[in-house]
Amino acid sequence: MRRKPPEQLAVPMSSMIDIVFLLLIYFIVTAREDIPEAHLAVNLPAPGMAKSGEVKPKMLEMQVHANKLYLQGSEKPVAEIAAMLKYLGSLDPDQTVIVQVSMNARATDLVTALDLCRAAGLEKLNVVTLR
Amino acid sequence: MRKREDDTLETPITSMIDIVFLLIIFFVVTASVDKDVVDESIMLAQAKNAPAVEQSDPRTVTVNLHKNGDINISLQPLSLSQLKQMLISMRAQSGNSVPVLIRCDADTQFRHIDRVMQVAASTGLYRVRLAAEATGM
Repeated sequence: MRRKPPEQLAVPMSSMIDIVFLLLIYFIVTAREDIPEAHLAVNLPAPGMAKSGEVKPKMLEMQVHANKLYLQGSEKPVAEIAAMLKYLGSLDPDQTVIVQVSMNARATDLVTALDLCRAAGLEKLNVVTLR
Repeated sequence: MRKREDDTLETPITSMIDIVFLLIIFFVVTASVDKDVVDESIMLAQAKNAPAVEQSDPRTVTVNLHKNGDINISLQPLSLSQLKQMLISMRAQSGNSVPVLIRCDADTQFRHIDRVMQVAASTGLYRVRLAAEATGM
């Protein structure tokens, strides 16, 4: 008779811990690792923009096709374009790059092109669709 | 003597539960943050040079774009005209400097991206961004 009261007072811990552990494992498993995202600015040509500049500034022309990049009209491998852009960017980082994208180009191609411009320090990018 | 043995055999459960609860709360809180905006099934293109975004504009409209051209916002599928309505109302709410973020699959053809861009431009939103996975740095 004397032993009974303390036993009743004890909280049933082990079952609670089981549940808590299950919850913990569930959240660990469902937690997704954060992929660092970069947001590449794509400046769409606004209607008012073309009129404001009377004197046309120096522009670079880049064309993006599926798996192909053209700089100033000639197709070149990515490494070469990267080097050229770096050189041109160091000459004048303010110049505008017109990125003309073909309909068949994939997102990777466009991202590569924008990324290369970024790496070269060229911030003024304009994405135009080739029709 | 008997009582003492009982004492040492007991594991310090309370402190362990404290820690486990803290861990659970941590995971609950981090899991609920911005999970609803991002479509997990999209594999972004990789950008080696662009820096990862620490904090983007809270007004950003995130448009998820699948390889086959399907559009959804917060996992809710939209047609192009619905997207246009949505962007128009966003613009009415917070002005025309609202950034539009396009999260598109690496293999998406530009024709699909272009359609979203045209819709954004036609509603007067010109701050369009393309999401990529920041692999460098």
